[in-house]
Amino acid sequence: MIIYNPCNEELIKISRTKKQIKPIDKKINIIMIDFNDLHSLFYHSVSKSCIAKNILPKKPLKVTITDYWNVVNEAIPTIMNEKDKYHKNIRFLILYTEYFKNNRILDTYELTREIEKFKNFKEILEYVKREIPIVINKSIKKSYIKKYFYTQAGYYKNSLEYESQRYLYELSHSIAKGAA
Amino acid sequence: MVGSQEFRNKIRSMISQKYNLEFLGSNFDQIASFISESKAQKIYSWVQGVIEKKIQPITISSKKKYKDWRINELMAFRHPFNIDNVEYRIMFIKVKNSFYIEFHLGDHKYYDTVRKSLDLKKGSY
Repeated sequence: MIIYNPCNEELIKISRTKKQIKPIDKKINIIMIDFNDLHSLFYHSVSKSCIAKNILPKKPLKVTITDYWNVVNEAIPTIMNEKDKYHKNIRFLILYTEYFKNNRILDTYELTREIEKFKNFKEILEYVKREIPIVINKSIKKSYIKKYFYTQAGYYKNSLEYESQRYLYELSHSIAKGAA
Repeated sequence: MVGSQEFRNKIRSMISQKYNLEFLGSNFDQIASFISESKAQKIYSWVQGVIEKKIQPITISSKKKYKDWRINELMAFRHPFNIDNVEYRIMFIKVKNSFYIEFHLGDHKYYDTVRKSLDLKKGSY
């Protein structure tokens, strides 16, 4: 089954096979979704935007704070490197933050609109610093937050000469302190 | 166009370390041969940025083994670029506070494989 996502000009192929398809137009990106990943936030968001969503396979959503933190962990250095060419790289970050903040799955159009609210990458970094400690602290048990985020901070501690790792170190501390 | 051997030699000379940096990628030589002189200069300048710690790394908290290391001992530097509308990625892997171990160059599919092996990618999307 193939879905066209007009926001990003990409084709999403849902398949049980690993067989690749090659687009004639090289500009079109093809994303493969395995049937085992139909529970992901990404799939739920994309399928919500699809006109023929009623015929798409459905599986209950499964999202964890670890998934969310993996997204944050990768997004921060990427945003700092790409500076104002961040639009493509923050889709997961905003999708996950809005889900945990408002328990709402944004479709691809809503997601694009949310991203357009940011004027530059510095606003995104401020948004992350302001929102994520609150969002995470209201989502899970305080004992788990302290254990998980103090451990994460420990991993960043050896690389504080990098701006992104310093930012993530301070952010994980701020989340853990919120649970103290 | 730069030759693939010239490309490797230049990067090796830039990082100047005793540990043998591995150049990996399913079509490394072919892709390297497509890289124009100006694109190569941009890549060298990016490598210089990595060396000077101006490029931000992605670190992974996974305790899984990756060759002789745990994944949480490594950092990954990512550089996307395109040639004739085809997207390619470089993934440069370093041991934290130590030497560089791998320079990956490949298309999106290869990049996804590297991400999975580094525990960066959880699903198939």
